Amino acid sequence: MNIVVFIKQVPDTTDVKWTKDNNIDRTQMESIMNPVDKQAVELALNLKEQFNAKIIAITMGPNKAIEVLKEAIAMGVDDAVLLCDPKFAGSDTCATSKVLSSVIKEKFPETNLILFGQSAIDGETSQTGTSTAVRLNMPFISHVKEIIGIEENIVTVNSETETEKKTYKVNLPAVLCVNNYVLPPRIPRINGYIKAQDYNYKTYNLYELNLMDNETGVKGSPTYVSKVYKTNDTRSCELMESDYEYSVITTIKEVMKNG
Amino acid sequence: MANENGILIFGELNKDNTIKPVVKELVTKARSLKEKIWNQRIMVCIVGPRINYNNIVHELGRCGADEVVIVCDNRLTEYDSNYTPELFTQIAQKYPPRIILIGATTNGKEVASYTATKLETGLTADCTNLDIGENNLLLSTRPTFGGQLTADILCRTFPQMATVQENTFKIEETDHFVNAIFNWIDIDKIEKKIEIIKAKEKINHSRDLSTSKIIIAGGKGACKDNGFALIYQLAQKMNAAVGGSREAYEHGYITKSQQIGQTGKTVTPELYIAVGISGANQHLTSIKNSGKIIAINKDRNAPIFKQADIGIVGDLFEVLPNLIEKFDIVNKEENNE
Repeated sequence: MNIVVFIKQVPDTTDVKWTKDNNIDRTQMESIMNPVDKQAVELALNLKEQFNAKIIAITMGPNKAIEVLKEAIAMGVDDAVLLCDPKFAGSDTCATSKVLSSVIKEKFPETNLILFGQSAIDGETSQTGTSTAVRLNMPFISHVKEIIGIEENIVTVNSETETEKKTYKVNLPAVLCVNNYVLPPRIPRINGYIKAQDYNYKTYNLYELNLMDNETGVKGSPTYVSKVYKTNDTRSCELMESDYEYSVITTIKEVMKNG
Repeated sequence: MANENGILIFGELNKDNTIKPVVKELVTKARSLKEKIWNQRIMVCIVGPRINYNNIVHELGRCGADEVVIVCDNRLTEYDSNYTPELFTQIAQKYPPRIILIGATTNGKEVASYTATKLETGLTADCTNLDIGENNLLLSTRPTFGGQLTADILCRTFPQMATVQENTFKIEETDHFVNAIFNWIDIDKIEKKIEIIKAKEKINHSRDLSTSKIIIAGGKGACKDNGFALIYQLAQKMNAAVGGSREAYEHGYITKSQQIGQTGKTVTPELYIAVGISGANQHLTSIKNSGKIIAINKDRNAPIFKQADIGIVGDLFEVLPNLIEKFDIVNKEENNE
């Protein structure tokens, strides 16, 4: 059983820095592993114990993104791979899913199960997992809360959205997007950190993934940011420190009366 | 310029086979986009079972749809990951549109990513506004980076795709002629890789945020002591729904369906009362179309006050009990009249 977990390094700060092409300048910011991606790693680690699985954590990003791979190794994954090339910079979800699907096709074609966190706190698009699955022609399930069984190339999963709970049987290989996993992510032990320090992290660039110049990064991304600005819709607010009761209750009563 | 024409909208159905309001919201919005680019038609594609679609077709027509394409098979009694995204994509290939708009529901997001990937085009998620920008391209506006900033996004490929949360646009009706096209299909041609073996709707005891005239929501400031108990107490008196910020959800005071903000819901009640919510941009964006906004916060510099009509600078643990007490007095007086 071979499992790949795709993880992402996200900025952990309120201070946003941008490049001159209006993309996020990740090199200037504090970074963490995207919180739900950690849940996906935890889910994978529990399968490792149950099904003797081999787990590979993969991330796409600048050299600095090796930090989240270190964390994944410290948590207990078997291998960690960085997809790094200046030509990947500025990729939107369309281009990112091309890179991620290529590493599976070119380097890990024997993968049975691919895990993602449901969405990243910096982009919140929830598209990369689905899009990667489509490129690999694999079935995909979103909002996976737990895996309840794996047998003969069929995985049984529970998913939960805000309105419903579902149980699915899915043919492997498959892509699962994890959200609200039942167990909290483990905190690495000291020997995990030691292993992570000395680990020899593999890196693949554009050509090693058999991709073309115009398929990734800004060139390979159909969408582009034309303008970024601070939101500025305001109302004129009447600020009160006392004697507010009358106006508040009148406002409430008026709304309650209408219809 | 290729010959892509029209605005295609995903016609998502509710469980009872009525059309989701977000579809009508998108059709209404598409009308204003259509006015800015020459010679476009608005088409809605529904994937569903073989039922009578007359009412739905006319409802969509009244919002401004020119055509409703219905892809139906009796096995499509509900959204199915095996078939729905693929069938919608096939319609987008058969009638190549210039723009595709999809409601950012759980299923809608899945359809949107699937279709965008199959058509090798870009997709902008959770847009808060849509317009026509330079070179007649779709201009999608969305909050980015935890909602601190707003980004205008363009797409260089066709179709240009966007998802939009429910309640972002208003439904407006018009006099309009609409045409229905039926596509009988054979879903057996599509490989089935996923089987749903059990599905259960979650019971939600809280009042629905989308239908309540008044919403009272708590934030970080209310996530201690009896903050949320006070909020529920006041909510009951004014028949309001209770919501909350991301922090309130993370602290377990509300369920996911009560969360308001970019990762939760967009709401448009007649009155929104924010209690102990400082007002991150992603929250403000999701409430800005509300009728009136009242904010209660200790910090007079809290950003929430910029988006409020009435701002009370004070400790919610004093302000809420005070309001609850006065509310009772007013009610008693009204009853005596």
